[in-house]
Amino acid sequence: MPRRVLLAAALLLSGCVQTRQFADVEFAPPEGDYSLLVMRPDVSVGLVTPGGLVEPRADWTEQARANLLRALAAQQAGRGGRTRILERRDEIAGIDAETVADLERLHQAVGASIAYHKYMGATLPTKRRQGLDWTLGEDAVRFGKATGMDYALFLHAEDSFASTGRVALQVLGIAGCFIGFCAPQGGGGQAAYASLVDLRTGEIVWFNILQTQSLAPGIGFGDIRTPEGAAQMVERLLGRMKAGRNVRARQ
Amino acid sequence: MSDLPLTRRMMLGGLGCACCGGLAAPAGARIPPGSLRPVVTPGYRPVDADEQGLWQQYRRVEEEIAGSNLLIRDDALARYLGGIAGRVGGPAAKDLRIYLAHVPEFNAFMAPTGFMVVFSGLLLRMRDEAQLAGVIGHEAGHFLLRHQLRAWRDMKRKTSALTFLGMAAGLGYGATGIYAGGLVQLAQTGAILSLFAYSRELEAEADAMGVKQIAEAGYDPAAMPETWQSLIAETEASAAMRRKRPRRGYSLLATHPAPAERMADLRLSAREVAGAGSTERGRDRYLAALGEHRRAFLDDQVKLNDPGATLYLLRYLASDGWNGLLRFYEGETWRLRGEAGDNLLAGRSYAAAVAYPDAPAEAWRQHGYQLLREGRRDEGRAALRRYLALAPSAPDAAIVRQSLAS
Repeated sequence: MPRRVLLAAALLLSGCVQTRQFADVEFAPPEGDYSLLVMRPDVSVGLVTPGGLVEPRADWTEQARANLLRALAAQQAGRGGRTRILERRDEIAGIDAETVADLERLHQAVGASIAYHKYMGATLPTKRRQGLDWTLGEDAVRFGKATGMDYALFLHAEDSFASTGRVALQVLGIAGCFIGFCAPQGGGGQAAYASLVDLRTGEIVWFNILQTQSLAPGIGFGDIRTPEGAAQMVERLLGRMKAGRNVRARQ
Repeated sequence: MSDLPLTRRMMLGGLGCACCGGLAAPAGARIPPGSLRPVVTPGYRPVDADEQGLWQQYRRVEEEIAGSNLLIRDDALARYLGGIAGRVGGPAAKDLRIYLAHVPEFNAFMAPTGFMVVFSGLLLRMRDEAQLAGVIGHEAGHFLLRHQLRAWRDMKRKTSALTFLGMAAGLGYGATGIYAGGLVQLAQTGAILSLFAYSRELEAEADAMGVKQIAEAGYDPAAMPETWQSLIAETEASAAMRRKRPRRGYSLLATHPAPAERMADLRLSAREVAGAGSTERGRDRYLAALGEHRRAFLDDQVKLNDPGATLYLLRYLASDGWNGLLRFYEGETWRLRGEAGDNLLAGRSYAAAVAYPDAPAEAWRQHGYQLLREGRRDEGRAALRRYLALAPSAPDAAIVRQSLAS
């Protein structure tokens, strides 16, 4: 019995916050006088149904988006950067919505490739030990010249919260440990990524993925619907930007 | 599930099976069109939180689709499609949006927010406006009855029930030592199958709603079952030429009712809703609206390398009369298949094509080369000259001139 109790206790306390970043070998985190364009952030917040499906919630999503944008502007100002946040595709004078959409789609494809080859284990032999080696090419450089910005940041954030039914299920799953049937159930959690593009070279110079998950009912690791939770996510995602390998070697 | 030998010990073991009875919804009965009423109102906006969330996500999807380079951008055609949606869309007439995607497949889908994507392969397969109105009416039916929301709620309900069931069985096993995993699996399978059955039920409803809408708009409701009849025949023709057995399109996992079943149900429903005023077919108007696109869509179809389906389709379209365009693509289908004797069949089609005033220039070129191959030098050269006269700046004009000079 004590072992079972220990197991239940361990599960109750388990859950984690994980980030994993990659940078171009020559990447130096932007500091001082730089300009950053935040591309329209892709945010979605939902409710975890008892069956484990995530049901998107419009009001929560709007709240979280507003909080994240505020937190992001504040965080970047702290580094000395001038931040401009795009909320719509058609709000840069002289650049049509279609050009912005094309860049977003291009980044979507390249970002998926980074996720696949850097995070999901399908390592490319030709890119081993070379840091982050992906580019958006000339399109991004042209976009940088037209906007006059130094960097573009692409941001995607998801958060979800367990419904009452799901929490009940989580309780049952852990309570079951006491009678020998341990079936911990996932509750809500966060998943986010940030991708920094140097618009002077077109290269994706830095990429980070954040994940939080909790098996314990009622316990989460931040709530981006609140200003504090959003600031926490921004800090976890962008706060500890590490320089590239060559840059660190020279320091 | 009720005829399973459930013992009392099993019930005590935590497996109450009452919930699965409700999971297995019967499907397959025809839904009378008269029994359906639209549940959306003009300018409908979502009220409940789950529907609002769904709409928010789909607004983003629509933005992506509206900017996609797969769309066929033709304002006149877009207005034409919008006009049909306005006629058959009932209370949603002013809210429906249609996007035409350049995809050579017979398909269309409806988003929960009221936009619809129609594939170019679907327009190719329509003989008249009434048939097209039937498809648009079907898709609009999904919106009018808020099907996506119902399907989502159904899935939520079933996955929740299953998760609790699994948990209960597991806890029961832990507490009493009675293993009910097999039954839980059975319930899971049942619930998954019932999700598909539910989806078929919604499709049948959309068929019934669609046929009612088009009849009320004055179209001939008999146009709707024709679409399914033709799809069945096309599938069979495609399989026959590949010497394969056709897929009947029915299985427990199908999300749509089998075409044969749909056709039969729709025939009955069409008869129910048919009235004195619903006779419009709009064939000329449809062909005029399609204009040059029909040729482009035929070109796509021929390149799919599915000669059985393509030949069927050409003959189907030709049931309203052959013309130069259809005959030319019949020739192209044989030529591209390229089996022994196919060049003769192709030659016959090209010869037939050039007898029509609307034969494309390329029909003259193909006809000319075929004649040269048969040793009919003067006639062949005349046909090639005709090609050059019709298309003097064709990309291959120089090489054709060269073969005339030699």
